[in-house]
This record gives sequence, C-alpha cells and structure tokens, in this order.
Amino acid sequence: MPVSVLVVDDSAMARKMLIKSLPAHWEMEITQASNGVEAVEAYRAGKAEIMFLDLTMPIMDGYQVLETLRQEDMNSLVIVVSADIQPIAQQRVKSLGAIAFVKKPVTSEVIESVLKEYGFYDFDSVKR
Amino acid sequence: MTESIDTQGLPDFIVKWVDVGIFVINREMEVTLWNNFMANHSGQSAANVVGRNLFDAFPELQKNWLKKKIDSVFILKNFAFTSWEQRPYLFRFPHNRPITGGVDFMYQNCTFLPIKNERGEVEAVCVTLFDATDTGISQTMLKQAMAALEESSNRDGLTGIFNRRYLEQRLDSEFSRCKRYGGIFSLILFDLDHFKKVNDTYGHLAGDQVLCEVTRRITPMLRSTDVFGRYGGEEFTVMLAATELHGAQILAERLREAIAEAPVQFNNIDIPVTISVGLTQIRSRSEKYETLIHEADTSLYASKEGGRNRVTLTPQEWNRKSAPTELATAFSS
Amino acid sequence: MTLTPLSADQRDALQEITNVAMGQAGASLATTLDTFITLSIPRIIIVDVAEVANSMCELIGRNTEVTAARQSFNGYLRGEVLVIYGQDGCNDLADLMGYDDELDRAAEQELLLDVSNVLVGACLCGIAEQLRTELSFSAPSLIGEKMPVDALLRPEKLSWSHALLMEVNFRLEERNFTAHLVMLMPEEAIDRMRGVIDDFIESF
Repeated sequence: MPVSVLVVDDSAMARKMLIKSLPAHWEMEITQASNGVEAVEAYRAGKAEIMFLDLTMPIMDGYQVLETLRQEDMNSLVIVVSADIQPIAQQRVKSLGAIAFVKKPVTSEVIESVLKEYGFYDFDSVKR
Repeated sequence: MTESIDTQGLPDFIVKWVDVGIFVINREMEVTLWNNFMANHSGQSAANVVGRNLFDAFPELQKNWLKKKIDSVFILKNFAFTSWEQRPYLFRFPHNRPITGGVDFMYQNCTFLPIKNERGEVEAVCVTLFDATDTGISQTMLKQAMAALEESSNRDGLTGIFNRRYLEQRLDSEFSRCKRYGGIFSLILFDLDHFKKVNDTYGHLAGDQVLCEVTRRITPMLRSTDVFGRYGGEEFTVMLAATELHGAQILAERLREAIAEAPVQFNNIDIPVTISVGLTQIRSRSEKYETLIHEADTSLYASKEGGRNRVTLTPQEWNRKSAPTELATAFSS
Repeated sequence: MTLTPLSADQRDALQEITNVAMGQAGASLATTLDTFITLSIPRIIIVDVAEVANSMCELIGRNTEVTAARQSFNGYLRGEVLVIYGQDGCNDLADLMGYDDELDRAAEQELLLDVSNVLVGACLCGIAEQLRTELSFSAPSLIGEKMPVDALLRPEKLSWSHALLMEVNFRLEERNFTAHLVMLMPEEAIDRMRGVIDDFIESF
C-alpha cells in the first residue's frame, strides 16, 4: 500500500527538488501544499503519513503547522526541511514534535538516511 | 635578491618577496608562514617567529580582539577584513614617509583568508596585510580640508563672523529646542546708521573697514554661547542664549555705546559710526523663529524712526507698560 | 537593451536559492551572536534606476534613518550587497558581542562592518555553491551613517539602468536589532544570472 507523502513549501522549485530526492523505488502517493493552511487541510484529509515541511511560508508558517498538528494529535511523521538551519530553530521544531530536521539543499542520501532511521525505508521491499 | 627562482618555486618566491605582509596561523594560533615584509617591518625574522604562538611572539598585539577575529574565520569559514579607517593597524610598524601629517605608524588594511582541507574544514588562516598609510594620510587631509570648507561656508568672507545662512540655522534650531524643552533666548538686531553715506563719501574700502571694526569691538563683549553674525550688508544679529529681554537690553545698550563712543579710523580719517538696535525675546506665544526676526526688525525700525543711535524694545513691550515710561527706556545719546 | 523579465520558474528558483543562502547567513549570524534570528521571505524585483530610491523605501521603510555597509562581489556574476541597519540595533549588537563598555564611533563602525561581512560572506557562498559558480568578494565599507533610506542610492550617480534586487530582513528575537540584506546585480549580470538559473533548473 503506497505511503501518503505531503510536501509543503511555498517554492515550487523546492518541492520539485525534494520530490526528486525521495527514494526512487518507493511506492508513494504524493500531495503538494504551498502554505500551512493547505498543509493542514491535506493532513486532515489523511494524505500525510509523512510530511516534509518548510518553515518560512506566507499565510501560515511551518511552526504554526506543527502547533496545529500537536493540538490534533500529531498523526503524521513530520520532517522539517528548511533553509533556516540555526541550532535554536532545530531545537524548536523538535520540541514541537518534528521527528527530524533536514537542511536545504536536500540530497537523496540525507532523505534516505532519515527515512531509514524511522523505519520507513525498507531495503527488503526494494529488493523484492 | 640573490636567490634563484629554480631553487624555490615561483609561488614561494612571490609570497616571500611581494610587498605585502603575508603570514599564516594554525588552529593553535602558531605562525606557520612569515614572509619578508613581515620580517622586515617587525624586526623578527621567520626563523624567530615560525613555530611560535603569535601572541607570545608579539605581546603588544590586542589579543582578545584578534583571537576572536581569527576564531570567527575558523568557525564561520568566511573571509574577514579590517580597515585602517576603524582600526589603524594590527601591528605597530613604523612607516617611512617624509611627511607624516600626524601619522606615527603604518596604517594597515588586512584580509583573513580561510585555508580549507579536502573535507571543507578550515585548517589555517592566512592573513594579508596591506600598507594603507598613503591612503590614510590623503583621506585625513581631505577630511580636514572639507571641515575647513564647511566652516568657511558658515562664515562671512569679510568679517569672519557667521553668515546669514548659519545664523538662520542656529536660530531655527535654538527656537525648536526652546519650544520643545523650555528655555529662553533673546535676539538683538542692529544696523549701521547711514552706512550708504559712508560708502558714498569715503569709498567701499572705508565701508569694509567700518564693518570689520564694528565686528572687532562687539566680539569681545559677547559670551562664547552667544552667536554673532552678519545678517545682511550692514545688518548684524546677536543671539543670546539663556537670556531674557532685560539682560539683552542691558547688553544692547553697551554695544550701542561701544560703537558710538569712538569713530572708526580709515587712512587717517575719522569716520563716526552709530548703530540702531532692536531686540526681542522668545515667548510661549512665539510661533516660529521668523516671528522673532520680524519683531526685532520692527523695533529696529522704531530705533531708526526715533532718531537712530538707540536701542528700542519691541512694540509688544510697549503695550505692556505705559507709553511715557516706555519712551524713557529708549535710550538716546 | 530591452529587459526580459524573469519567468515564473526562474523567479521561483532564484527565490529558493536566495532563501537557502540567507538561511546559511542567518545561521552564521546566530552562531556569532549566540541568539535566534528571524528571517523574512526573500523579495526579488527588477528595478529601474529611476525607481531605485522608491523601491528601497518600500523595502526598508520611508521615514527611517539608516547606516549602511557595502561589499562588492565578482566572478562570473558580479554586483554589490548592501547591509542596512536601523538606528536602534547597535547597542543590542554590542551587548550580544560581549562588549562591556560603550563603543566609540570607530568600534561601532567596526562592529557593523563585521556583522555585514558575516551575513554577506555566508549569503554569497550559499548562492555560489548552489549555482555551482565561484564568487569572490571585497572588504566591506560604510556608505552612509544615519542617513535617510532614499539617499543611499542616488539615481544620478548610478551607471546602470536596471538591476536585479533581492532583499531579506534579519531580526533578532526580543531585541530591536534589524538588518536588511539587499543584493543588487546590474543588467549585464542579469542575463548571466538567467543562464545559471536555467542550468540549475535543468539539473532537477
């Protein structure tokens, strides 16, 4: 069964770059959102088992999304992908419930290692 | 320069002999390279310096600041710079300029370059030190010339006291200040009587001499906080800080007396000179500084009309007291 | 020379590149000051030289007095970067950098130049890395102290007719300190920029 993946970033370029670095042989159903409001909607529609979340976005930013999810039981594994790589930013997102912080520009190696760490990237299923 | 390039390699040769200071510091703040420029100007050869901690070898360096600066290059992996304009020098090297212009040591601009290994970590910092003494001296001279120019644009060419432009600026700012924070000041406006006749009778050089002599007599009678300037051809103002009308009036009478008591000498000719004076003071009802000029001008006009060589208060003052007493306060010779 | 505007894709790519580079600049500054920096979303416009003063006022604020530093960059792409500070920040900055005493004028200038250098260095390196090009940059210098924003760039003194302008605002949390980083590239550089952005987009 495909994993639902939500990619949230106000930049179409950034979303493209991220999607390109997702594991090639993985079965995914990818949804895109360009701001926090769209992200929360997609989450509520069950399309975000995994969420890649940018921090600096207009209308509703990444921090606000995390807070909203926290109030709604956080049924998504959120990986923050951001240009804002200050140590304090990383601490903050983790304390708001994000499982990982990946700095931009992303590489497929980093994405894969994060997914593996959280048991999402199953090598065996690829070999099959 | 007797070494042959073959024995050293071109880059090494250039680093050694170039007319720029080059030295390299490792993470332990030890010097690993020290070129001839540094050796010659510091008086310490490479043999004495290489392998030693920079701050041990040169205890006069500002250690706290320089160490932070170098550390920032290691941490941020970024170039850093210093400029003689904020920090005249890193090392106190003597310079060799025949005209020092107030400069005792070499002015320096420095660049701090990160030297990275294959893993992208910074292993060492290369510092290049440029002699900026010439630039420093000419910039300093330029600044001084500009300050002199600025000053001269505030001054009247003939008498050397402030000009109208400056007077209005000062009046405006003093007015705003007093309006905002409280405080008082008075304004005296005086005019040379029959000045046109002086010019016509004795010539313009005589007229200039009169203007200068008036300035010379008035200036020592004022305080350093008073602003004295030439407002027009034969018109002068004095702005008296923290002075009320009564005090201004007393001074105004003294000024009138100083001019009237002795003629101005020009080429063995005695030219009698008198002034007509008007004055006013800032009040809470005063709306703008131009109002004060107008008030002083009005009372100056009253002095003229009243026979010249006198001091008259503003008509507003007349209304506050009875007329006969007011006339008594208008001194006449 | 007619100026072709950036396409939506090019603009988006450039914005993202700038965003990443500014993020690195912010992180460098945060390390130096040991505090949290809030970054705005980068703004990108192409300005006409006659409009530059106006554009600056809109980006930074019309009735503010500012102090500004500049550094030029060179390489395949060339231009200048301005770092523009509001008046309130200097004391906060000194505080964060660990200066106990009141700064004299030279020390204050040096501090502002050092901070500019940190931001510009990180930003330019970030952009260069992503676009796979090399940039070198000059020492910073002050171009104005306590002057109105619209006096910073005077059209009659500028030799270009259009420039690409990218701006980000850095703010310190719980402090008054703000700095705007404005990167400007003259028209000849814009075409080259278009080329490298297209290469960048192609690589994905």
